[in-house]
Amino acid sequence: MKDLPPTVFVVDDDDAVRDSLKMLLKAAGIAALGSSSAQEFLSVYDPAQPGCLLLDVRMPGMSGLEMQHELNVRGAMIPVIFITGHGDIPMAVEAMQHGAFDFLQKPFGDQDLLDRVQKALARDADTRSRMRHTDRIRERLSSLSPREREVLTLVTQGKANKMVAGDLGVSQRTVEIHRAHVMQKMEANSLAELVRMMMSIAQ
Amino acid sequence: MSTPSSDVLALLEVTFDAVVIMDGRGRILAFNRSAEEMFGYRAHDAVGRNVAMLMTAMDRASHDEHVKRYLEGGEPRILGKGRDVRVRHRDGSEFSVFLSVGRIPNTEPAQFVGYLHDTTLRRKALATLEAERQLNRLYLDLAQVMLVATNRSGVVQLVNQRAIRVLGRAEDEILDHPWVDRCVSPQDRPLARAVYRALLVSGTDDPHSCEYHVHSAVGEDRFITWRCVALRDGDGMATGMLLSGEDITDQRRAESEAHKALERMNSVSRLATMGEMAAGISHELNQPLAAIANYAQACVRLLRRPSADLPEISDALEQISGQALRAGEIIRRIRSLARNEDVRRERQDINELIREVHNLLASDARVHDGRLALDLAESLPRVTIDGVQIQQVLMNLVHNAFEAQSVGNSPPHDGIPFEVRIATRLTAQGDVEISVSDLGPGLPGDAEQKIFEPFFTTKATGTGLGLAISRSIIKAHDARLAYRANEPRGACFFFVLPAHLEASR
Repeated sequence: MKDLPPTVFVVDDDDAVRDSLKMLLKAAGIAALGSSSAQEFLSVYDPAQPGCLLLDVRMPGMSGLEMQHELNVRGAMIPVIFITGHGDIPMAVEAMQHGAFDFLQKPFGDQDLLDRVQKALARDADTRSRMRHTDRIRERLSSLSPREREVLTLVTQGKANKMVAGDLGVSQRTVEIHRAHVMQKMEANSLAELVRMMMSIAQ
Repeated sequence: MSTPSSDVLALLEVTFDAVVIMDGRGRILAFNRSAEEMFGYRAHDAVGRNVAMLMTAMDRASHDEHVKRYLEGGEPRILGKGRDVRVRHRDGSEFSVFLSVGRIPNTEPAQFVGYLHDTTLRRKALATLEAERQLNRLYLDLAQVMLVATNRSGVVQLVNQRAIRVLGRAEDEILDHPWVDRCVSPQDRPLARAVYRALLVSGTDDPHSCEYHVHSAVGEDRFITWRCVALRDGDGMATGMLLSGEDITDQRRAESEAHKALERMNSVSRLATMGEMAAGISHELNQPLAAIANYAQACVRLLRRPSADLPEISDALEQISGQALRAGEIIRRIRSLARNEDVRRERQDINELIREVHNLLASDARVHDGRLALDLAESLPRVTIDGVQIQQVLMNLVHNAFEAQSVGNSPPHDGIPFEVRIATRLTAQGDVEISVSDLGPGLPGDAEQKIFEPFFTTKATGTGLGLAISRSIIKAHDARLAYRANEPRGACFFFVLPAHLEASR
């Protein structure tokens, strides 16, 4: 999964615009794929594929805004850059309000486009790495026994072993053993790291 | 002999029927004013004489018999019941009356009162009234409008044939029923009630106008334009209403058909207004330009690489030339629209063209709560123009004018309804000036210089091409589209078309 190269998906009904964008991106060393309609893109879109979306606001059939809405409904995290024409500013504003990453007004310079695409790809990579991180933490968390979960909860609330032992009605020695298992299973080197892990998945 | 009391006499004087009071022997004791009029005798001549003088020979003998029999305890033949009898006027003529006789209580010797009702007169009056009613009915039924009269509570008192036909019901299904509940379409009832309430309390004799649907029992609801007046009694109190209605369903449908046709034109060709056309053109032009820029930038990047991918670059350059041609084609289309290629010019009556525009834009005006007024000079010389293009210019100007007035103003503005006026006039040089004026804010000084420049716009959604294209169309007609401030306020766009010279035909 990690090895899939980030790809820019160009969704535009105008063949020339779509094709020229793909060529420009490839010339800048960025993988690009084109779809001529929102429906076409949605039918082939794989959420595991890292990348970003270059989306024309105005399209026959499903418009860019409608497609953004559909992606939001599906919980897709892919950053969306809208391409708008003259007089489409109200649409661009609406798109931004619904979580678009950025927008570009036609006509635009290549550096403008590439800068934004790079930023969007970086955001996507960041989101994905954070998601991978939290996924790993959740995985480790699920390997804990119920008693270990209890110890983890109390320890990350800042309670000393003695208090945890009192709360759970076990000996301090038992708590120390559970606690060592928790640190080992969670791959945490310190209490501080354990707390950070718990906070990152609580978000 | 006792005479009736003065109270009774006073009462008798105001009684409409003829009243004669007599004693048991038929002697007249009192003779009221109606009796004087009926028989031609003065009361002082009649009192003291025998009632027999009022009777025909045939009744005279029997009358005495009747009285005598009654006084002897016999069966009263006439008392309290009444019958038709023939009587005699002082001039000898005979006529029919309805006579009822009663004994006045507590009189000894007995006194009798006779009420005489002139049935001849009544019959004649009834016949006249009936004839008049039928004539009125005929008038009502001949009328091509719906006529309905109601009382104060809105219950139908009269309805003519035309109304009956439109409503598709029998007359007795309408008469004596509440007008609004029975005949007005449910969604329009509150409106109708409000109008009628206002009319009844208004105290004016001016007709109120309103438009609403009536329910037809035989088909779809009909849309009626009404004029309503209050009916008043002598004291000016409203006693009811008279409604006269014209069925404008078909007219409205025709108007809305025209509106739909306009919308079809809009969506199919985007040509109905310059603004939409321009928006479409600028979007279309942007596409090839964006593609050209992208391809060119890609080429630059590819060429910068140590080993340039020549086939790819050549492909991109071919795309660039293709897209440049595509852009050129779009521009050629604009030019053909503006420069009058492939179009026919004909001698035309400009006023007629304007009336067509008026029909097409009547609904546009309604959307803006405004009015499109025409002020057309008669017998103008014909002009040689492309009618469709000139109409497009006019539609664009009118559309702009309505928009200019609605911006920031909620109607009615200062009590003045939005009005756009298309006017024609003959100039001193014998040419034809066409102007479109509004009562909006007009143009600020700096805008006046720029409005005809392409892409200059004061509208949030404007493209800034409408006026520029309009001006180039007018220029192609050897004229100039210009602006002046309108009197007393607002903007005025005008152009002068050279008159067609009959000699140059």
